[in-house]
Amino acid sequence: MTHTGPGSQSTVVDESTRTFDVVVVGAGPAGSAAALEVARAGHSVALVERGPFPGAKNVFGGVVYGRILDELVPNWWEHIPVQRWVTRRQTMVMTPAQALTIDFRTQDWGSPPYNGATAHRADLDSWLAEQAVEAGAVLVPSTVATGLLRDHAGAVAGVRTDRPDGDLTAGVVIACDGVNSFLAKEAGMYPTGHEAEHLTLGVKQTLALPRQVIEDRFAVTGRDGVDIEMLGCTRGIPGGGFLYTNLDSISIGVVLGLSAVSKAKTRPEELIAELKRHPAIAPLIKGGEQIEYSAHLIPEGGYHAMPELVGDGMLVAGDAAAMCLAAGIWLEGVNFALGAGMYAGRSAVKALESGDVSKRGLAGYRTMLEESFVLTDHRKLRDFPDLVLSDRVQRNYPGLVCDLVQGLFQVDNPLPKPGLRKLAMRSAKDNGVRWRDLLRDGWTGLRGLK
Amino acid sequence: MIAVIVVRDGMLPLGADETVAEAGGAAVLVGTGVKEAAGELPSLSTGRLAENGTFAPGRWARQLAAVLDEEQILLPSSPDGRDLAPRLAAELGRPLLAGAIRMTEQGAEVARWGGRVCVDLIAGGPFVATLQPGVRGSAPVHQAMLTEIELPDAEAPDVTVIEVLDPEPGTVDLAEAPRIFGAGAGLGRAEAVDLLGKVANAMGASLGATRVVTDAGWTGYQRQIGTTGVVVRPELYVAFGVSGAAQHLGGLGDPAHVVSVNTDPSCPMTAMADLGIVADAQAVLAELARTLEVR
Amino acid sequence: MLVVAALRWSDQRAAVDPLTGEVRTDVHTSGASAADRAALEHALRIAEAFGARCLAVTVGPAEADDMLRDALSSGAHEVVRVDGPPATVAEDGSATARLLLAGLPERPDVVVCGDHSADRGTGSTPAFLAQRLGACQALGLIELSAADGALHAVRRLDGGRRERLRFGLPAVCSVEPAGVVLRRAPLPATIAARTAEIPVVRAGVLESLSAGAVKAYRPRPRALPAPVGAEPHQRVLALTGALVERTPPKVVRPETAEEAARELLDYLRRHGYAP
Ligand SMILES: Cc1cc2nc3c(=O)[nH]c(=O)nc-3n(C[C@H](O)[C@H](O)[C@H](O)COP(=O)(O)OP(=O)(O)OC[C@H]3O[C@@H](n4cnc5c(N)ncnc54)[C@H](O)[C@@H]3O)c2cc1C
Ligand SMILES: Cc1cc2nc3c(=O)[nH]c(=O)nc-3n(C[C@H](O)[C@H](O)[C@H](O)COP(=O)(O)OP(=O)(O)OC[C@H]3O[C@@H](n4cnc5c(N)ncnc54)[C@H](O)[C@@H]3O)c2cc1C
Ligand SMILES: Nc1ncnc2c1ncn2[C@@H]1O[C@H](COP(=O)(O)O)[C@@H](O)[C@H]1O
Repeated sequence: MTHTGPGSQSTVVDESTRTFDVVVVGAGPAGSAAALEVARAGHSVALVERGPFPGAKNVFGGVVYGRILDELVPNWWEHIPVQRWVTRRQTMVMTPAQALTIDFRTQDWGSPPYNGATAHRADLDSWLAEQAVEAGAVLVPSTVATGLLRDHAGAVAGVRTDRPDGDLTAGVVIACDGVNSFLAKEAGMYPTGHEAEHLTLGVKQTLALPRQVIEDRFAVTGRDGVDIEMLGCTRGIPGGGFLYTNLDSISIGVVLGLSAVSKAKTRPEELIAELKRHPAIAPLIKGGEQIEYSAHLIPEGGYHAMPELVGDGMLVAGDAAAMCLAAGIWLEGVNFALGAGMYAGRSAVKALESGDVSKRGLAGYRTMLEESFVLTDHRKLRDFPDLVLSDRVQRNYPGLVCDLVQGLFQVDNPLPKPGLRKLAMRSAKDNGVRWRDLLRDGWTGLRGLK
Repeated sequence: MIAVIVVRDGMLPLGADETVAEAGGAAVLVGTGVKEAAGELPSLSTGRLAENGTFAPGRWARQLAAVLDEEQILLPSSPDGRDLAPRLAAELGRPLLAGAIRMTEQGAEVARWGGRVCVDLIAGGPFVATLQPGVRGSAPVHQAMLTEIELPDAEAPDVTVIEVLDPEPGTVDLAEAPRIFGAGAGLGRAEAVDLLGKVANAMGASLGATRVVTDAGWTGYQRQIGTTGVVVRPELYVAFGVSGAAQHLGGLGDPAHVVSVNTDPSCPMTAMADLGIVADAQAVLAELARTLEVR
Repeated sequence: MLVVAALRWSDQRAAVDPLTGEVRTDVHTSGASAADRAALEHALRIAEAFGARCLAVTVGPAEADDMLRDALSSGAHEVVRVDGPPATVAEDGSATARLLLAGLPERPDVVVCGDHSADRGTGSTPAFLAQRLGACQALGLIELSAADGALHAVRRLDGGRRERLRFGLPAVCSVEPAGVVLRRAPLPATIAARTAEIPVVRAGVLESLSAGAVKAYRPRPRALPAPVGAEPHQRVLALTGALVERTPPKVVRPETAEEAARELLDYLRRHGYAP
């Protein structure tokens, strides 16, 4: 992602000329949640967004888990612009010619208060920003934050934008500018040299299909929908695949470790094309006409890769703070962004009210995150990204389970059925799996889920 | 039905003959050098010729309204036709059916949304319409009956024309170019259009463009080929990311060889091409530049 | 003195289904066209030159308010929205012109429009405005400026020719998006405009012509001159081109850009356009 020009030469500003109490940069889920909280508390807040409207430039799979919205928008499910409510979730482990699917369905997720939903970012982000605007936030679209302003003591005191007369001074700046946050970097909050290693590339196609066809193929009705996560479909490049049903289209795509994909000389489009030809997937998407192709980076390093979250006059939230969980069967970022944005907004309000917007005055943010799902989940799953993206999980285990299951179900008369133990040994050997590793990985996985 | 054709110094607007043909051969020629222009209209069978000075849509609409009582009045949608037709419709108190592709029983089929869709408009009485140049073709008649008429005087505010400027040098080469490489919106960026210009140059061809490309400022408006741009007559046309809208093709003449590079195999440009290449225009261009060692 | 910019709110990137002709629009990609934004820039400059007020107006739905907010932040002194439906492609422009003028606080001295809209695309609205105002019209301009109390313009004619014009007020102009870009709005004005109240006028209903269903565009068959030849079979041959040598049209789908470029060069070579 490129950012318009670094305005690295920070300008010194005088606090008495503050234009807003808070400036939020980036009207993604994190930014809108932050602006909403600040506006609700009666403080002035500007929400600066570089796109012509919120969600214009944003990409995601995407399933949004809205539980955290309970705290922000009463009965949100009656208003949020969703495509379908996910009532059927599948995890698919595959090799080029095999697929083992765990298919779970619950009608509980198809009625209030719901669980996950598929949505388009343009709709979702616009709606979230609208909540903030209705609460009194000022949305400033088509405007890029190009640098930080600082006061005499060196604390962050606003942002510079690319418009004429474009300086915006504020008590607190909340950076919600997404993955690879340019503002957090300029503030020196990111450790240097972490870059590509902790980035995943997400690419996605949207395929148009008639509503009825989708409902027939995926066995859902009304507003119910399906979410499929896939492992083993990326030619050994760390990552995974996903497929979601929208109202009259399907989103299909892959997430890929950035450094591995650039080394592998495979283009992401080829991997999607291959996935679309897979015997387990092809019949689901047949006849779908591509109406959109998009790509975006995802921070996947998790807990270990997060920057400092609090600075003097500044907070960082959402993807900007690498609060995204992208590990094979999980792809969650919006919920963490919403939560982090909300807490950032709250701590900014607290700091403003106590008259201390320094790092100390804002420190409550970290505490709130630690106590909430945001950092609890990330801490708990801190080793998960490494595990799921490890070579064994990516290259060896899918073959192991698929061969095992194939051996179990294959009828080789007149040969007698093989014993399970023998089958397991053979599948492990064929797929180059050592039992020691398997046990250890299983333990890491279980500990993560404890 | 009658056609109204604006003539400037004996020069006919684009689509004049087709409009006369669509109107069944009847036309009023108005402007300067009308008699000379009448000889250039193979479809004309009954012509009324009104020598009436330089184009002045406000005054002309009043003058013409006083003498025209045909149920259907048709003008070409060239710049002058587009500007005169609404004034005439307003003077006559009739609806305007602008941008027609064909006349129908009760009105006209018009193109909308940049020529991507058609709508049947029903006038419910007399109307004025404009016809898109290049949609119809024409069939010559053998004899024309011409009468000279004088339009009644009228007054209306109009602009003063200081001078008429010839096509800019940059367009002359285009208008007469035997080989043209055309840039369309599918090229995606100004830099690609620049590169196409260089590649064209290396192949002894001129650069042309669609309206979308000139509107975006990716190249000068003088390069726009079409009914409101330059009319060209090349032998070879190689289109990069051009959809082939009627207004674009209307200015393209009838090239012997057409190639279309487009991701959409069913767009009109590819449909009319001798060679349709379904591919990303920018990538093909980059590759072409590499092969020809153009930078 | 009042200079008006007429902005039409329509989807600049509408998707059209090539089979059914169904037009899918989206508020997110809707707004003023490049030509209308150029019209606003010209209106601002003309207002500055004449020391006049600049007003931006649209006949359109509530969703168009943001387009007027942008006009305010770019420097329009006032804006007004005349309530009306979106995408009126079956209306001929005369009703738009009537409502638009009815919604203005006073008679304008200059109206600047875009040369044609993205959806209707007839370019006729400004001519209807001129008729109603009793103003002179200068349409399809590629240059426009104010000097010595008059307007100076270059209008595009067909065949690449142009004409240089001079005219007084009142006048209605329509401009192509050539040569000017709308100025970038300063931040303070942008922020102020976000919460500005957009005045709405209800000036009547916008009546359209009755129309059939929207269909995908299909070119009509072209008439050809009658073939020459004394014998019927000669005429048939001439008409069908049966004996004329011609390569059959071909559509290829190369795997790579290299292959595509090779196809193209091969074709050009075969027909003598490349060495
Ligand atoms: C292919 C893919 C699939 C995904 N699938 C899912 C999924 O299914 N479920 C899920 O929960 N998450 C998913 N995610 C992750 C999710 O999209 C992100 O975690 C989430 O969007 C983070 O929200 P955010 O507000 O922090 O950042 P973003 O949504 O990235 O928003 C940042 C905003 O800041 C703006 N901005 C950036 N820089 C500037 C600047 N300098 N000035 C002004 N504005 C600026 C941007 O335009 C943008 O609007 C997916 C991601 C990808 C790429
Ligand atoms: C009154 C009026 C007058 C007009 N006069 C003219 C005129 O004189 N001249 C003129 O040209 N137009 C004129 N137009 C505009 C005309 O209607 C069309 O809008 C225009 O010609 C379309 O230009 P385009 O083909 O570049 O763009 P589009 O119609 O947007 O087509 C782009 C094409 O590129 C293809 N494409 C997209 N991406 C790629 C890719 N990566 N690689 C390859 N192909 C790709 C698409 O499939 C599509 O076919 C006029 C319109 C009006 C209303
Ligand atoms: N509904 C409208 N509101 C304001 N201006 C309009 C409207 N419709 C057309 N115009 C103006 O008239 C120009 C030509 O539009 P059209 O006649 O639709 O091709 C546009 O570029 C606008 O400047």
